[in-house]
Amino acid sequence: MKSLQINGQIRQFLPQEMPSTLSALLEKLGIGATTVVAEVDGQIVRPEEFTRTAVRDGQTIELIKFMGGG
Amino acid sequence: MDKLVIAGREFDSRLLVGTGKFASPRVMAQALDACGAEIVTVALRRVDIGNPQDDTLREVDGEKFLLLPNTSGARTAEEAIRLSRLARAATNIKWVKLEVTPDPYYLLPDPVETLKAAEVLVKEGFVVLPYINADPILAKRLADVGTATVMPLGSPIGSNQGLKTRAALEIIIEQSSVPVVVDAGLGLPSHAAEAMEIGADAVLVNTAIATASDPCEMAIAFKLAVEAGRRAYLAGPRAPADHAEASSPLTGFLRD
Repeated sequence: MKSLQINGQIRQFLPQEMPSTLSALLEKLGIGATTVVAEVDGQIVRPEEFTRTAVRDGQTIELIKFMGGG
Repeated sequence: MDKLVIAGREFDSRLLVGTGKFASPRVMAQALDACGAEIVTVALRRVDIGNPQDDTLREVDGEKFLLLPNTSGARTAEEAIRLSRLARAATNIKWVKLEVTPDPYYLLPDPVETLKAAEVLVKEGFVVLPYINADPILAKRLADVGTATVMPLGSPIGSNQGLKTRAALEIIIEQSSVPVVVDAGLGLPSHAAEAMEIGADAVLVNTAIATASDPCEMAIAFKLAVEAGRRAYLAGPRAPADHAEASSPLTGFLRD
């Protein structure tokens, strides 16, 4: 099994189901890409970079979006 | 009404509105439209992986409003800087409402961490609007490092207590070289009017509008109050006197 820590939770993937890029991961999780920015191992990844950002076993990923706030 | 200018950008509305706590995205959109707000604050949070389609901001048009990301939730300068960078990466918006609130009970801003974060963010090219306690010296220090405004609180966030800090706000307004946006604690339109009457450049309101029984009507009431307060300030109000001053002539009475 391969694993990613996504927003504080460990998620495991069968090797053949492990998403290869951030955009593939978002698709797998059912997350629309337009409102999201990411951090991969502490590095900020802009939405336009999702398709070319590789995802690897053991990484820590934060998926962040805007929501209502004062 | 005269225009509000922040960081060289002009705004017709002097009412900034927060987008938290609304019952639904539609109610929020209606309230924002009704009050003519041009700057609306938003927060950054983790995507809820269990409910990824949840999008409270779907009806907020980023073309129509200047989205002002806040750093709510940050307890240190470091966390606020991280959130600011993420917000900019998400949208290319360089504006940030800087807030550092280590104490969740009163949500009072940490002056030391706020100043530290402001210095870094200004150097990185952000337009920084810092949320602060009503501290005139801190306000000056922030303006000196290049913040676009200062945003002193009237009373704790969401408390609806009004201008508990009025005396200090008046000093900040008198001395500030940048626009003063009174943020937090304004529970009624009269509180917003009072802030504008004493010379605040703008106010930021969220809870009082979002949690009213009719947010749309309350948004309009705040809009009118902000306009009334601004006009009154520009009209030059007279100072209170400690005795009566007759409005009618003191001669020609019908008596000998």
